[in-house]
Amino acid sequence: MSEWRLDSVPAEAMALWCQALGDDNAIHIDPAAAEALGFGPRTVNPGPTNLAYLLNMVMEARPDRLVRSVEAAMLGNVLAGDAVLAHGTWNGDICDAQLAVPSGGVVLKARIETNGRDSYDGEGLRSQRL
Amino acid sequence: MSDFAIPQGRFHLSAGLDDAIRRSCAAPIRVGREAHPVFGFVAALGGMGAKVGDVCRGLGLAFDRGAVLGRCRIDYDAPLTVDTQYDVRAEVVLLERKASRRFGAADHLTLAMSVSAAGWPHARLRLTTIMPAAL
Repeated sequence: MSEWRLDSVPAEAMALWCQALGDDNAIHIDPAAAEALGFGPRTVNPGPTNLAYLLNMVMEARPDRLVRSVEAAMLGNVLAGDAVLAHGTWNGDICDAQLAVPSGGVVLKARIETNGRDSYDGEGLRSQRL
Repeated sequence: MSDFAIPQGRFHLSAGLDDAIRRSCAAPIRVGREAHPVFGFVAALGGMGAKVGDVCRGLGLAFDRGAVLGRCRIDYDAPLTVDTQYDVRAEVVLLERKASRRFGAADHLTLAMSVSAAGWPHARLRLTTIMPAAL
């Protein structure tokens, strides 16, 4: 089992993510826009940021592994100032992970598959096995 | 959907951007040149030749009425590395209308994206965006 926690999601980080993602959805940077669309008076964390929290947990739990695939379902929203708790259950190389907020329950579920670094040749390609 | 073409784009993954993204989400510091794996998602969206919102608007979808991410799948062919220029290809693969508890009816748009460098694949992303059904 793995856990990872962030006590308060920073509102000021959301602009950086929007810029990197090319995301022009105002709910991430403008509390008024978030409120007008029914999310309440706080900005909404970009979904990929929430996914990054789960990946942080996996990287910290298994630093010797590489992430091979991610299958994720976004079920709810994380708002600026929320605490988030990631929880993961391992079955071999696979982590079934979820992210929860105290007020809204589980907002993200993901199956994250990892494999060993020996499958990566260090030159940007996975070994091709016949 | 094949008649709606998304231009090819590029994404420069700098060490500074990886550092900033890691700081913003309390991630472990980078070891070597391997970028945070979330860049399999970030490079695909950030580098595609049109913004997701513009793709949705171009298809007549109600992106501005409250679009949300629904689900995604990322397959990694190799770790993404910093100080690397990536080519991003994207295409619309599916548009469905479904019943929605939140919206009543919703449009589900699925895009497929690939992130490659020097012709070699690094990540493939399949992403579904959900928004209120267009009127």
